[in-house]
Amino acid sequence: MSHRERIDIDCLARVEGETAIRIELEKQPAIELKIFEPPRFFEGMLVGRRYDEVGDIVSRICGICPVSHMTTAILAIEKAMGIRVSAQTGVLRAVMTISQIVASHLIHLYMLAMPDYYGLSGVVEMLPRFRKEVGRLVKMKEVMNDLTSLIGGRALHPVTHMPGGFTSIPGEEDFHAILARLRKIVPEAKRVVEDISKLPLPDFHSDSEYVALDRGNEYAINEGRIISTAGLDISVDEYGRHFQESQVSYAMAKQSVMRQRNSFMVGALARAHLKFDKFQEETKSLAGRIGFSIPCDNPFYNNVAQALEVHDGVLRCIQLVESNVFEDEAINVRVRSGEGGAATEAPRGLLYHWYRINRNGVVEKANIVTPTSHNFLTIEKDLKKLVKENMRRGRNEIRLLCEQLVRAYDPCFSCSVH
Amino acid sequence: MKKPKIGIFKYSCCAGCEFQLIYFQKQVLETFRAVDISYCKMLDSGGAEEGPFDVALIEGAITEEWQAAQLKRVREASTYLIPIGSCAVCGGVPAIKNTMQEMEVEKRVYGDTSRIHSMKARPVDNYVEVDGAVRGCPMGERDLTELVTSLLLNKKPDFLEYCVCVECKLKGSICVLVAYGEPCMGPVTGAGCGALCPSRGRACYSCWGPMGDANARALADQFDRMGLRREDIFRKFTEFGEPTEEFKPGAQRK
Repeated sequence: MSHRERIDIDCLARVEGETAIRIELEKQPAIELKIFEPPRFFEGMLVGRRYDEVGDIVSRICGICPVSHMTTAILAIEKAMGIRVSAQTGVLRAVMTISQIVASHLIHLYMLAMPDYYGLSGVVEMLPRFRKEVGRLVKMKEVMNDLTSLIGGRALHPVTHMPGGFTSIPGEEDFHAILARLRKIVPEAKRVVEDISKLPLPDFHSDSEYVALDRGNEYAINEGRIISTAGLDISVDEYGRHFQESQVSYAMAKQSVMRQRNSFMVGALARAHLKFDKFQEETKSLAGRIGFSIPCDNPFYNNVAQALEVHDGVLRCIQLVESNVFEDEAINVRVRSGEGGAATEAPRGLLYHWYRINRNGVVEKANIVTPTSHNFLTIEKDLKKLVKENMRRGRNEIRLLCEQLVRAYDPCFSCSVH
Repeated sequence: MKKPKIGIFKYSCCAGCEFQLIYFQKQVLETFRAVDISYCKMLDSGGAEEGPFDVALIEGAITEEWQAAQLKRVREASTYLIPIGSCAVCGGVPAIKNTMQEMEVEKRVYGDTSRIHSMKARPVDNYVEVDGAVRGCPMGERDLTELVTSLLLNKKPDFLEYCVCVECKLKGSICVLVAYGEPCMGPVTGAGCGALCPSRGRACYSCWGPMGDANARALADQFDRMGLRREDIFRKFTEFGEPTEEFKPGAQRK
């Protein structure tokens, strides 16, 4: 038997965390996403820690979506301990999560994904030719980070967010000031969608099932039922019965599958599939203008869906801040035992946390399933199809296509291993 | 002026300190122009990890053999080597597991641990000599700015050596420990955050790690007088780094 021809990407650049990719160029290509990010054993080390430390600890799973881990953990703990929160807390959580999603998408789109499409190695190389675009990234990201930071104390690893609510609420004038800045970046947000619509995205089709949270008439972020394009419709409490994680021999991250169903995709494209009608009217018409419509089975268009979410997210933050008055509130928590899970939409898709807490308020068991674990199998499946369809191209072209596809999923390997 | 070459390496952590570099918002474009980031896997697909570097910035704790081996090579190839952020400086959150049985922790996560080769999470200075440290989780902007400007001006960086309490006093914040009876870690925690938590209504939880000559025992005694249980006191001193030398007298108080 002849030696199999192979492409080995030893350490994929411009993604969060560490992975290698092994591609065997056969009629039936074999693909391994060898995620070698070192495990930090969060689920193991959380056992024995107090319920009110969990948010601070899990925030450190990820430097790009700390708010998502923190919020999901706190929601799960509140569920486990029967803690009720005010409507205001829900709104502040939404603003904080959405502002982080927008900032995360901006980093992904401009710094991680875009350079590939112009044959550049990174954002520094982009600077001379794309000064306006990079300027846009910096300007918008600053406002979104400042919004997260206003509520959370800091954008990265916020401090005010606890089970039961927020330890302090910013003053009215601070909200007014950020509101003015948010309004100023709306035109920039439109241009983000235009920038991304110009990328020469490869033509590719995947038969993925799309999974996202859904609730009422809004673009669900921190609560809702888990639904899919193939008819899944379950409550978060049923998550464990429908989703299963398993270890693979070549990666430190686990792979998640839906029992007796297909592999699936989570993230901006999945959300756009399932709740496009819940975007703001301006976002929908922007989508029309760039020729994006649902269904769209091309995972490279996750980039476009993210750009639409950037625009929609800015508008939604403006609405939420505009239509609410925020006041200081006391946090009331009574320690009691229980177990519970929560799911939210992190920038990269469905994120699930589950905890069992004992009567002293100490964690006895923890389970965390990240968006990249949900997407893991589908990324590999799509890579196989992509390689198969492009076998006649040169090695470098195949390599670049594969890298672009993985980046389009915006994976976070630090999260996936945790 | 020749631009200093910077190499950025990530080990076991959330990558937040690398993101913090780009949270450097207003200064970011200028900073990029003044230095040459010649290796940073997350930002750029080019660059060679071999160096040489004028400055190597290291984020993350060391939890695997290959990281320690690479770190030693980076040390050889760099004029200055600076750990950035709590994981690299004092072990940080990844080091919580050091307070537990390693195998027990691993088994809670993986059914099959045969391919897991994790060691106790250790800070960078456990393996190589360092030329300073940028504390914080995420690393603080003030110390980072001080580091970068010192590098450009060829002067020794002036890192803060006092505790969070000093920043509280400078800000005129009310003491959450004395006035509200909150178990605040400020008296033993390195400054640099601007006393963020106390000024936002909560006790410091020591994400900056220990101050150099912290009196951990005295604070643990105070927590005891306030009615905290021994396990709770232990947890206070172990959230960011297993008990470091400075925190041992607090964590291990009987």
